[in-house]
Amino acid sequence: MWGTEWPRYEVIKQDTPKSPPQMVGSVHATDPEHALLLARHVFVRRPSAYALFVAPAEAFFHVTQEGLKGPWSEGLEEGPEEAYWVFAKRSHRRSMVYGDLVGRFLAKGPASAIREALLHAQGVAFWAVPERLVVGTEPKEEVIESWFAPAKDKTYRLQSYYGLVTAKEVEDAP
Amino acid sequence: MVKLRIGYPEDPDYPERLAEFEARIARGEKIEPGDWMPAEYRRQLIRMISQHAHSEWVGMLPEGAWITRAPSLRRKLILLAKVQDEAGHGQYLYHAAETLGVTREEMVEALLSGRAKYSNIFNYPTLTWADVGIIGWLVDGMAIKNQTMLAQCSYGPYSRAMVRICAEETFHHKQGKEAVLLYARGSRKQRQMVQDALNRWWWPTLMMAGPHDTDSPHTPLLLRWGIKTKTNDQIRQEFLNEHVPELLEAGLTPPDPELRYDEKTGNWVHGPIPWDEFWKVINGEGPMNRHRLLARERAHEEGRWVREAMEAHAKRRLAQAAD
Repeated sequence: MWGTEWPRYEVIKQDTPKSPPQMVGSVHATDPEHALLLARHVFVRRPSAYALFVAPAEAFFHVTQEGLKGPWSEGLEEGPEEAYWVFAKRSHRRSMVYGDLVGRFLAKGPASAIREALLHAQGVAFWAVPERLVVGTEPKEEVIESWFAPAKDKTYRLQSYYGLVTAKEVEDAP
Repeated sequence: MVKLRIGYPEDPDYPERLAEFEARIARGEKIEPGDWMPAEYRRQLIRMISQHAHSEWVGMLPEGAWITRAPSLRRKLILLAKVQDEAGHGQYLYHAAETLGVTREEMVEALLSGRAKYSNIFNYPTLTWADVGIIGWLVDGMAIKNQTMLAQCSYGPYSRAMVRICAEETFHHKQGKEAVLLYARGSRKQRQMVQDALNRWWWPTLMMAGPHDTDSPHTPLLLRWGIKTKTNDQIRQEFLNEHVPELLEAGLTPPDPELRYDEKTGNWVHGPIPWDEFWKVINGEGPMNRHRLLARERAHEEGRWVREAMEAHAKRRLAQAAD
């Protein structure tokens, strides 16, 4: 059906209701629902998620830092107007995420959506994906509870759980 | 798949592009998928990242063997969480390698066919429960030194995977240290068990940092392109300086009669590393090489029906959606 491996889905994670969804990595899955389940296992083993989204990796249009300097959007085909999610890599600082969602833009193609985003947002590289291909967890309380709350009880996954571990227990004991 | 044919020294614009590329690295910029890069940079990264991913996967096996035999529910929960993390770390790294144009399938095939290398340390057996503690404290301790360095890597996806892994791996280190210190001040039998584990894991752990700088042909290029920011010997030294005083404090003795503190440099200096053994194990003659590959192969085969069922389910849903 897909040749030798399942399609790759980009995974987008939103940590809190107020923080932007961020591109965190990818998983191979048979469909978006499967991709979401795998994304939770791979990227949300610790309590740090409010929502997860996935979209087929091949549906992303990408402009690199070098690309932005040239005539990157010339000659690209346009279609009917639709909503795009546009992500920007903000800087070269050390990070565990790559693109922050900078907005939803109505455009006739991904390049137009990024051109629109450039009027509002700064970044060293950009991605755009049609909103109709993005599938996410629902922002309902019961969904958030069932998907992300269990990680909160697993405190032994956090190094803070172990406190100060030292061989000099007598001298250093509080 | 289409293999990229750019970034070779015989390309007419190579010198100019290489100069731009090296200037970007000097400015502290991250190189990203889609950016121009020398073919050799791509090749070295695919080699390192895929080996690293395989190590995370094979690394689940020695510890996984103790999940059913953990001495308490608490220790079992911790070990399960740790092994699950290693699976996740493999996934982050396979993703990073894929951004360079190699497929997941190619990498898995290279591992299962025995062509791919993974960290030598996982070709040793875990004989007692104390090994799980020693692996957490020392083996993960050495891994963290390497991974903290690689978090500074010039290639964006590798650096990001490392930042995420380091954030999670700190708990692996701490739980191991907690367990070892507990046994080191426990009963005579517990002290013997943990000293025996230290004796067996000490040299393989020091070898994890790789051959000495003088015997590491890739290092100068890797440093120049910011793939690595420290040498093998520097990483090994950092590990020794952090861990030796704590091991001694705990009443444990690393099995190296020549281990000494050098007042002048402030470094712990180790005796000769048994490199003959290292090369023997890396070339497939370690105690567990065959066993590890068979276990991976078996897991792959035993999971086949699940993969086929997932695929059939997805196909049916697609067909239903089309009706």
